[in-house]
Amino acid sequence: MAGTSPVRPFWPVLAILALAAFLPFRVSGYVLGLLTLAYYFGVFAMAWDLLFGFANEVNFGTTFLIGVGAYSAGILDNRYGLPIWACIAAGTAIAVIGGLILALPALRVSGPYFGLTTLVAVLLLQNFVVIFSGVTGGEIGLVVPDVITTDAAGNYWIALALLAASGVILTTLSRSAVGLILQASGQDRIQAAALGFNVTRHKLVAFSVSALFSGLAGSFMVFYMGTASIGTLIDITIGVQIIIAAVLGGRRTIIGAAFGAIFLIGLTEILRPIGEVATFIVSAVALVVVILAPNGLTGMVARKAPP
Amino acid sequence: MSTGLPPLLSVCGLTKRFGGLTAVNKVDFALWPGEILGLIGPNGSGKSTLVKLLMGIEQPSDGSIRFDGAEIAGLSTHLVARRGIGIVFQHSRPLERQTVIETILLGLLPDSLFHLSISAEHRARARAIAEKVGLGAVLDRRPSTLSFADLRRLELAKALARDPKVLLIDEPFAGLTASECAEFSALFREQRSQGKAILLVDHNVRTVAALVDRVIALCLGERIAEGKPVDVMRNEAVRRVYLGGAIEASPRNGSGGAGAAPLLELRDVGVRYGKALAVDQANLTVGENEFVSLVGINGAGKTSLFNAITGFVPYSGEILWRGQPVKGLSAVRVARLGISHCPETRELFGDMSVRENLDLGGQRRSKAESDDRLDWMFELFPILKSRQKQNASTLSGGEQQMLAIARALMTDPQLLILDEPTLGLAPIILEQLSKALDALRQTGKVGVLLGEQNVTFALPHADRIHVMDRGRMTWQGSPDRFVHEAGAKYLL
Amino acid sequence: MLALQILIDGFAIGALYALGATGFTLIFGVSGVLNLCHGALMVAAAVAAWAAHTEGAMNSLASAAVGLAVSVALALATFRLVVRPIQRSPAVRAEEREIFILTATLLWGILIQEAIASLFTSNAKTVPPLIGGVTLLLGVRIPRNEILTAILCWAVIGVLWLWVNRTRTGKAVLAASMNSRGVILLGIDLSRIHVAVWAVYGLLAGVAGVLLGMFLGVSSYSVGPLTASAFSIVVLGGLGSVYGSIVAAYAVGYLETMTAYLVSPAYRFIPALLLLVTVMYVRPHGLLGRR
Repeated sequence: MAGTSPVRPFWPVLAILALAAFLPFRVSGYVLGLLTLAYYFGVFAMAWDLLFGFANEVNFGTTFLIGVGAYSAGILDNRYGLPIWACIAAGTAIAVIGGLILALPALRVSGPYFGLTTLVAVLLLQNFVVIFSGVTGGEIGLVVPDVITTDAAGNYWIALALLAASGVILTTLSRSAVGLILQASGQDRIQAAALGFNVTRHKLVAFSVSALFSGLAGSFMVFYMGTASIGTLIDITIGVQIIIAAVLGGRRTIIGAAFGAIFLIGLTEILRPIGEVATFIVSAVALVVVILAPNGLTGMVARKAPP
Repeated sequence: MSTGLPPLLSVCGLTKRFGGLTAVNKVDFALWPGEILGLIGPNGSGKSTLVKLLMGIEQPSDGSIRFDGAEIAGLSTHLVARRGIGIVFQHSRPLERQTVIETILLGLLPDSLFHLSISAEHRARARAIAEKVGLGAVLDRRPSTLSFADLRRLELAKALARDPKVLLIDEPFAGLTASECAEFSALFREQRSQGKAILLVDHNVRTVAALVDRVIALCLGERIAEGKPVDVMRNEAVRRVYLGGAIEASPRNGSGGAGAAPLLELRDVGVRYGKALAVDQANLTVGENEFVSLVGINGAGKTSLFNAITGFVPYSGEILWRGQPVKGLSAVRVARLGISHCPETRELFGDMSVRENLDLGGQRRSKAESDDRLDWMFELFPILKSRQKQNASTLSGGEQQMLAIARALMTDPQLLILDEPTLGLAPIILEQLSKALDALRQTGKVGVLLGEQNVTFALPHADRIHVMDRGRMTWQGSPDRFVHEAGAKYLL
Repeated sequence: MLALQILIDGFAIGALYALGATGFTLIFGVSGVLNLCHGALMVAAAVAAWAAHTEGAMNSLASAAVGLAVSVALALATFRLVVRPIQRSPAVRAEEREIFILTATLLWGILIQEAIASLFTSNAKTVPPLIGGVTLLLGVRIPRNEILTAILCWAVIGVLWLWVNRTRTGKAVLAASMNSRGVILLGIDLSRIHVAVWAVYGLLAGVAGVLLGMFLGVSSYSVGPLTASAFSIVVLGGLGSVYGSIVAAYAVGYLETMTAYLVSPAYRFIPALLLLVTVMYVRPHGLLGRR
C-alpha cells in the first residue's frame, strides 16, 4: 500500500539481508553465535511490535508465549523423542493456544489491568515450571537431546531465514487491509466498530499471530541452544528487553524492532568486558531512551523525513 | 416522507438507566426514508445517550428499536453498523496514523480476516467519496495536517463509505463557518434525496430549522415535543426549557456595579482546541462584588472561556486580575488568587461526606476561619447541614450543586465563577439556588460570573448581561435592556 | 496446636504482605502509577539496615532507621527521576503513559537490584531483629520479633489510616485519589501532595522491607519475587482498593502458610496462584476493584 507509515524503502533492507547472508564467510563463530541469538530476539521483538503497535495492546507476556512454545517443543523432544520439526510445529501450535487462553481474560480489561494480566501470566508459568520440575527440569533447566545442527554457520542461516521470513510476513500483514483494520481497532475501538468491524475478533487474531511467531522462534531457539530454562526464556527482564528493543527500534515499524534487538544484544556484548556493571549500563541507557526518546531510533530518523 | 409506508427505524419506549439516573425515559419516535429528523435538546437531555443506544454503543435498559423490520436493541455496534446504520460522531476521531484515503478505504473494507489486498475498485470508490465531500485535494494527508472543517468532512466520508440506510449525525455544525454549514447542509439534503433516513442531533431548533423536516425535542431524557420546526419553536414546554419561563427583569437592590474597580478583565481572549475555535475575541469585565451573567446555549463557548480564566487551557489575548496579567499561571495559582471555579461537572469528592468536602474547601484557612465560613454555608444551604454526614455521591442533583457552590465559597474567593449550575435540575431546586445566590449577593462580599443557558435564572441577580454565541460575544448590557432587545430571539 | 501455629504465622505474614500491598495500592490510587520497582525499594531498605548493622556497627533500631531513610530517598528519586519526566513528556501519548511508566519503573528496579548486588553481593542477608528471644503465645512458641512484626505492620497501617482520614494533608491525598481536578480547583497544590505520597510510600515499603529482612532475610534476588507478590496481591484485591489489598494479602498469606504446613513448603505458592487465575477469569478487576 503506497503512502503508509514511514518505512524504510525495500531495496536497502534487501541489501542488508544479502550482506548478512554472506557474513559466515567472513566472521568468527563467536560473532555468528551472537548474531544468531540476536536474530531470534529480533523475531520476538517484531512479534511484540505487531501486537503493541497495531492493536495498541501492550503485551508484557511475550515471554509467556515464548516460554510456552519453547518448553512444549523441548519437553516433546526430551520425553517423547519426536522429530525436531514435529516438536517445533507442536510448540508453535501450543503457543498459539496459550495466546488465546491468555487473551480471554486479558482482552476484557484494558490499560494497566491488561499489562498486569500478562505479567501475572509470566509469573504463573515460572511457578508452573518449578512445580512440575520432573517434566520441565525445574530451575535447573531442561536438556534437549537434539539440536538442529552444531555448525555455527548453519544455525546462523536458519536464524537469519526465520528473521527474514517473519519480517516479510509481519510487515506485509501490517500493511495489508487486515493490518489497516487492526490499526483502526487499536486506535479507536468504537470507531472501528461503527465501521462494521468485530474488534474483539481482530484483536484475538493479532494476539494469535504474535503468539505464533513468538512460539516458533522460541521453539527454534531451544533446538539451537540445546537447553531451555526459566532464566533464558521466561524471565521478566527478557520481556522488558524485548520491549526496549522494539521501542529503541521504533514502535509500529516492525522492521525497527529487529534492528533494535540486534543493537541491544550488540551493546550488551560490547560492554560485557566491563563486568557486572554492563547490565546496569544497558538498563540505564534503555531507561533514558524510554524517558527521553520514546519514538526510538527510527523515530528520530523519521522525523527528518516528511510526514 | 411517510405515506402508509412503514418507518425504516422505529423506537418504542426506549429507556436507559445508569444506576439511579434515568438518562433516556420511554422515548418513542419513528424515522422514514427520505427525511431528516431533528433531535434537539440542551446538555443533559439525553440526546447523546439516545444516539449511543441506537448505535449499540450502550445497551438499553428497556424498550425496543426496530430497524428494517428486525429488532436491533441490544446488538453490539459492529452488527448494527453492518445492518446499515451509520454514525457521524460529534467530535472528530480520526485515525492519526492513516491518510485520508486510507481512512475512507477502511469504511469500504469487509469485516474479513483474510482480505489482504485492496482492490482498484475500492480505491476508485474511496476517491469518489472523498471528492463528493470536498476532500479531493488532501487524499494523501494525515489528520494532523488537516483543517477543522476537513476533519469534519472526513467523519462524514467515513460514514458515507458504508452507504448506510440510516445516518445518525451528532451536532455537525459546531465550529463550522456559515459557508461550511451550508456546504454540509447541501450534502445532507443530497443524501436525503437518495432515500436515506437521517437523524440530525443539535442543541436548538434555530440552527437546523431550515434543514429538517420534523423535530423531536428532548429534556431530561423525555420527549417533550414533536412536529414541524416552527411548531416546536412555539411549544410552551420547549420554551420553558430553553428560556426557563417568561422573561422578566426582577427588581434588584444593591449597587449596579458600574464604576467599581475591575476585578477581572478579559481582552480579546481566544481559545482553540486543536483546530476548533471555541472562543473568539472575547471581551469581558467583572467589577468588585459585581454579578455578571454570561448567557448562551451549550456549546457557545462559556466553559472554554471559564477554563481559560482559571488556567486550565491556554489562550490568546489577555486576562487581567486586579490589573495584573495572569497568563501562564497554573490552575492552582489562579485558584489561590481568589478565583473559585465551580464547573459544570462539579468535581465533587463522591466517596467523602458533605462535611469533608466542605472542610477541604476551607483547608487553606485556619481552622477557626474555616468553621466560621462553614456556619455561613449552612445558613445559605440548610439542606447541607442536615446531610453533612452523607457521602456526596448519594446526594440528589440539586444538593450536589449546592455542595459544589458551598465548597467553592469555602475557599473565601473574591470571584466565584459558576458554570451552568441549573443543568439537569428541577424547577423547585432552581428556586432554592436562586434564593441562595440572592443572599450571597446581598452580602456584597463576592463577585460572581455566572454562565447559564437558562435566562430566567440568570437575569434576576445580574448587574450586567453578556450574550455569547458560537464563541463570540454578541451583546452586552443591563438586564432591562436584554429583555427588550435580545430577549427570545437569541435562543429560538 | 498446628492450627494455632498456622493462625499466628499466617497472621504475621499476612500483615507483612498487607503493608507492602497497601503502599503499592496507595501509589496507584493517588499517583496513578504501577510501581514495579516496589521490591527493589523493600530490599534496598533491608540491605541498608543490614549494612548499617554489620559494617556500621549500629544497633538494630538505628539500622532500621537507616533502612527507612534509604527507602524514602529512593522512593522520592523514583518519583522525580523516573515517573515525573514521563508523565510530563510531550513525546508520549496519554494512553501510552502508563505502560511506559511500568517499563521504566521495572528498569529502574533492575538498576537498583544490580547496584545492591554489586555493592553488597547477592548473598542472603538478615536484618538483626529488634527484639530477640522466643515467647509462648496460646501455647505456641513464637519468636518475639514475629509478634512485633505483626503489631508494627498494623500500627503503621493504623497510622496511615489516621493520616488519611484525620489530617489535612492526608485528606487532601484521599481527595486527590478520587478527583485530582477537584483538588486543584480548591487551590491545593497537587505536586506537593504527590511528593508527600511518594515519601509515605517509601516509608511503608521501607518498614515492610526491614521487617521482612528480620523475619525471613532478603537478597538482591528477592527483588523480582517481592514485586511480583505485591502486585499479584493488589491485582487480586482490586487495583485502587486498599481494603481489597488487605483482604487479598491475608487470603494469600493464609493460603501460603496453610499449604506450607499442611502440604509442603515447596508448593506454598500454588493455591494463591490458582486463586489469582480464577479471579482473573471471573472478575478481572479484582475482588474489590473499581474502575
